[in-house]
Amino acid sequence: MVLALWLAAAPVVADSGEEWLKRMGDALNNASYVGEFITESTGRTERLSIIHRVRDGVVSERLVSLSGNGRELVRENDEVVVYLPDQRLAIIERRSGRSDLMGALPQFEGEMASWYKIDYVGREATIFGPTAVVAVRPLDGYRFGYRLWIDVDSHMPVRSDLSDAAGRVVERLRFTRLEFDSNITDSAFEPSLDRSKLRWVRQSPQAEDESPAWRAARVPPGFRLSVSGMQAVAGTSAPVSHLVYSDGLASVSVFIRAPTPGKAPIQGSGRSGVASAFSTVVEGHQVTVVGEVPPRTLKLIATGLRPAPVVAPPAPTAARDRGN
Amino acid sequence: MTDRIKEQLSTFLDGELPEPETALLLKRLERDDELRGALSRYSLIGAVLRGDGDVPAARQVAARVSAAIAREPVRVASLLRVRGRAALLRSAAGLAVAAGVAFGAVSLVQQVGTPPPVAAEAIIAQAAEPPIVPVSDFAEPDDAPVSSYVTPPAADAPGGLPQAELANYLVAHYGYASPLVRRSVGAGLISASTDATLAEGTGEETRISQ
Repeated sequence: MVLALWLAAAPVVADSGEEWLKRMGDALNNASYVGEFITESTGRTERLSIIHRVRDGVVSERLVSLSGNGRELVRENDEVVVYLPDQRLAIIERRSGRSDLMGALPQFEGEMASWYKIDYVGREATIFGPTAVVAVRPLDGYRFGYRLWIDVDSHMPVRSDLSDAAGRVVERLRFTRLEFDSNITDSAFEPSLDRSKLRWVRQSPQAEDESPAWRAARVPPGFRLSVSGMQAVAGTSAPVSHLVYSDGLASVSVFIRAPTPGKAPIQGSGRSGVASAFSTVVEGHQVTVVGEVPPRTLKLIATGLRPAPVVAPPAPTAARDRGN
Repeated sequence: MTDRIKEQLSTFLDGELPEPETALLLKRLERDDELRGALSRYSLIGAVLRGDGDVPAARQVAARVSAAIAREPVRVASLLRVRGRAALLRSAAGLAVAAGVAFGAVSLVQQVGTPPPVAAEAIIAQAAEPPIVPVSDFAEPDDAPVSSYVTPPAADAPGGLPQAELANYLVAHYGYASPLVRRSVGAGLISASTDATLAEGTGEETRISQ
């Protein structure tokens, strides 16, 4: 009887969405592999190759655009270099433990359960074999959701669909090749371009004791300030204030800079893949907010910025709509 | 569809189509709905005739398409030289279609060749992939439900955020992006459509001699 009960319960535990996400998180943090993937959104399809290695706690990753422009992104732990040979430019972003580059997936429990619902959807065959499909559904219109196809053997996500609160897909990423390799050499992370011909620009956080005197007076439910500092950003002549708000999964970066003399302020929006941006002027300062969230989230945060420290009030009731 | 194309398709499914002809066939698959349908039907028929329950056979077809796609950078590079960026983008989109054909073939075969799913486990119909829709606009009032989504204005449009500035901010944001979308953010940064030329002045600039 006890055995029968255990057998009946076992598949439920093994196939819970949370359990599959945990397995996937472990795989993402520990696996070394090479592959290719395609990202699709409206009007855009990109093919990229990826080399990812975890060795002695050091994560190295190289993304290469296969679109023929020779662009690459190479990361080693907290340093990221974006190579743009077509523009003879390389941008270096180096951090000192403040970023989440090594961060694991959050536990979808406690307060997180108020913003996301995790469902195990079922099994589905892909070219890599059977996968477990897990849905991470947003419970309001201020964050995106995910549908993940997790390989049952390797626990790697071989496909992910990013969707809005209504479940409509806004971006799809899927691997077309994935091979595990525990012996990836250092040379695999060398960019295939002549680095001597590039102009190098360094974007780095400034001293820790410099802190911007800006805060968002209102944020969507669940979002909290996670990072606050000054940041050098290519294209600006002085460090900008950089705030990061996160709900534990999605994140939003806020950049505030003094107006540039002789240059009209920017008020508008932009988009790059899954990331959206919104620019406006607050108290005479140029504010730009970027993140992998619906644009309305960016707008809510940007328009609520204030130059003096304020305490964020409880989530507005209006922001608790379910957005479906 | 001519007999010659049918013959090519059959040879491709057998894994015996020479590489140059495979490239041509993939190009045709990009634009020919009838041919894509035939590919799925032929792979299904082959699976049934072999009677081997045939997800593995379908995977071979999918793997063949994937392998052909994996060889595509050479063709893409040559396309870039002779036909320019617009042609390149069309080609990339078409390759995704070809990959989709492979996924579809797997799905069709699975419906015939696999036993009924166990009761406790939902098997999803794979062929019906949801369409990809644009990201929302900023027009909705903050307290309104999210009811519809419209593509935001293209960057660099009048009043829009310059691509260069956006790219610079995205580099700074990359380290904080969710692990679930960080690769997509990275892909956006190095995509062909992102222009990261410096907008004004410089940040802390260092010239490094290698």
